[in-house]
Amino acid sequence: MTNKDSVVIERIFDAPIEFIWQMWTQPEHFKNWYGPKGFSVPVADMDLRVGGKRLVCMEMQTPDRTMKMWTTGEYVEIVLNQRLVYTESMADENGNVVSPAVMGMPDGYPTTTEVTVELEDLGGRTKMVMTHAGVPAGSSGNAGWEQAFDKLADRLETALKDKSSGR
Amino acid sequence: MRDEDDKLSQIFAALANSTRRAILARLAEGEATVNELAEPFNMSLPAISKHIKILERAGLIIKGQKAQYRPCTLSVTPLKEVSKWTEQYRHIWEASFDRMGDYINQLNLKEKKNDQ
Repeated sequence: MTNKDSVVIERIFDAPIEFIWQMWTQPEHFKNWYGPKGFSVPVADMDLRVGGKRLVCMEMQTPDRTMKMWTTGEYVEIVLNQRLVYTESMADENGNVVSPAVMGMPDGYPTTTEVTVELEDLGGRTKMVMTHAGVPAGSSGNAGWEQAFDKLADRLETALKDKSSGR
Repeated sequence: MRDEDDKLSQIFAALANSTRRAILARLAEGEATVNELAEPFNMSLPAISKHIKILERAGLIIKGQKAQYRPCTLSVTPLKEVSKWTEQYRHIWEASFDRMGDYINQLNLKEKKNDQ
């Protein structure tokens, strides 16, 4: 795994370690912070055991419609108050995995990613390190941005063709 | 980080327009002058120039220095930036953790109030 294919973010929170653990593992807390700006989280099902499933829905109101994005995955590692690892894939509302391409993402988006949360007690405060990594084996994440760019260029060309034929 | 953020937002904003994407698609085939770029569109030259300026500011195209023609060429580097999935996730996570911090502060305040 190269650095290029993962996001690593470190934060220190002014709260005890159990508190931060609950932020990740209890739906009622998770729903209050997770997701891109402007999105709410109406659904966060968490079967918190190794092999247990997660299903999360993020939702945004736009003037014309409600945009929903579902993700699913499985817990890989659970060490209470210390370490949490789960996989994540784009999904439909029933938790069936859908390919990123279907969701309109450029190729090169990995089908499955893995989120690792590591917590460290700093005496009342907590250091959190979150790593979000593309899963390399057999995933389209291998293709990298070069392929993604090829695809984008293709799309641009298609857009141009549509535009000129529409005239 | 802040600068990178702004840069990325500028690229996304520039790409969020079908005319500008079509201009980029044309440039993917090779350099072109503003007049040539304007040709397929039912638009005034100043309107096209405005789109080109937005693309130029986002670093997506480069204008040549040949005084009279100043042909536009596609610059691929910013497109590479936005097609990295990690960049997009980084923004989402940073915003989420800001919210987590705010939420924790709210909870802390509530607890303190309850203690009194």
